[in-house]
Amino acid sequence: MEGDLRVEPNATVEVDGRLVVSGTATFVGRSEVLGDLECAGFEADDADVTVRGALVVHADLRARDSKVEVAGSLSARTVDVDRSLKVSGPVTAEEIEVGGVLEGGSTLSARNVSVGGRFRLAGKLTAQKVEAGGAVDLAEVDLETLEVGGVIRLAGGAVRRSIEVGGKFEAEAPLTFGSLEVGGVARFRGASKGGSVEVGGMFSADKDFAFESLEIGGIGSIDGNAEGGELEVGGKFDVRGSLSLRGSLEVGGAISVGEAIAGSKAEVGGAIKARRATFTSSAEIGGAAMTQEGLKACHLRLERKSRATGPLVGDTVEIHAKAKVEDVYGDRIELRDRAEARNVYGRSVRLGDGVSVDSVEYTETLEMGRDTQCRSPPRKVAALPKFPL
Amino acid sequence: MLGDSNGRPSAPRRRELTDLYATILEVVKRYRGVARITRVSYGAGMPVDRLRVFLERLLSLGLLRTEELDGRPIYDITARGQEFLDTYWKMRGYVEVLGRSPEERTGRRR
Repeated sequence: MEGDLRVEPNATVEVDGRLVVSGTATFVGRSEVLGDLECAGFEADDADVTVRGALVVHADLRARDSKVEVAGSLSARTVDVDRSLKVSGPVTAEEIEVGGVLEGGSTLSARNVSVGGRFRLAGKLTAQKVEAGGAVDLAEVDLETLEVGGVIRLAGGAVRRSIEVGGKFEAEAPLTFGSLEVGGVARFRGASKGGSVEVGGMFSADKDFAFESLEIGGIGSIDGNAEGGELEVGGKFDVRGSLSLRGSLEVGGAISVGEAIAGSKAEVGGAIKARRATFTSSAEIGGAAMTQEGLKACHLRLERKSRATGPLVGDTVEIHAKAKVEDVYGDRIELRDRAEARNVYGRSVRLGDGVSVDSVEYTETLEMGRDTQCRSPPRKVAALPKFPL
Repeated sequence: MLGDSNGRPSAPRRRELTDLYATILEVVKRYRGVARITRVSYGAGMPVDRLRVFLERLLSLGLLRTEELDGRPIYDITARGQEFLDTYWKMRGYVEVLGRSPEERTGRRR
């Protein structure tokens, strides 16, 4: 039809195939279109509009204080709906803004999508920027940025730049992303890869996880292998496989790794547990070091009253007062007052007051304090046994 | 709402007052300084008259600020409001972890 169409409250528009309106279709109150509708513009005010077929709007769809439901596909240049928009078929638009709820039964493709409240989509979402204030439930995504105030669950895909989530983030399948910032909980169920990751509360990955930096305020776990730049955890961290870092490891509490840990530097306030742990620079352990094959660092320091099982290896090894360790291998080894060790092998060895060891083998110097106990006489040797690791 | 330990959506728990305040703040934040009450009402899923009471409370606590645009109030989140949200979500994360028994937490690793 030529010109505009105005649909009054409680009207039903019967359509034989497709209704084409050359001007603007305006809706007021509750109304229904029983077929496809194509129009230059779509306006609704305090309305509840249902289109039983497809809706094509060549310019803008505006629905103030209104709900819009489309049984088929929807295409428009821009979409601005105050209350809710529900579309069963594919949606394409440049800009989509919904104040309340956006629900889609198929795919959605837009440059920007902004939803004030809940956003749910069953098909693939392709967009540059997506923002939502409430709960978001998505299938596969192909995005540049994603910002969610509440909680989000998505199937997987790619978010090339950043993801910011206030509450909880869950990815059900593999996801690649630029950066991720989550206030509460982040959970990855598929093998995933990303840049910097910051999580305020809890982090978990069920498969392998790769990152540039990973910072967790609370506790974290990775059920596969972990590979990345730097790792900082406020509380506790578990890795079922191996943990390979190019940079430093900082853990306030405890870290447990099923296989090997490798990195440049480690600071662990509590305990470190692994099959083996090697650091190219330094390692400082506050509580306990438990390894089967050993803990190695260029500069290795175990704090006062700490405990170690498994060999300790380093260029410089400092075992502080009252610590209790097993075998120690190093170039320079110092056991401070009342520390205890099993066997000590070093070029230069210093044993503080009250230190207790089973045996000492050294190649150059040995200094012993008062009341030092060495159950076998110390031996100066030409060469030390081969160090582990 | 947060899910259970197996990732299934948990039965929706009743929204407590703090949840409502957080929801409102998140919706206001989304509009970057020009949030109108009707839009916040749709986003937060709360009628305007009830929302008005919550907004007043958030304003009095300094978690929101308001000004007029075209004779109508618009709302924006304050730094203190953002601080509330950061703390709220972090705490929700901990509550999810601590709310589970040790068996539930270790169950998937066996």
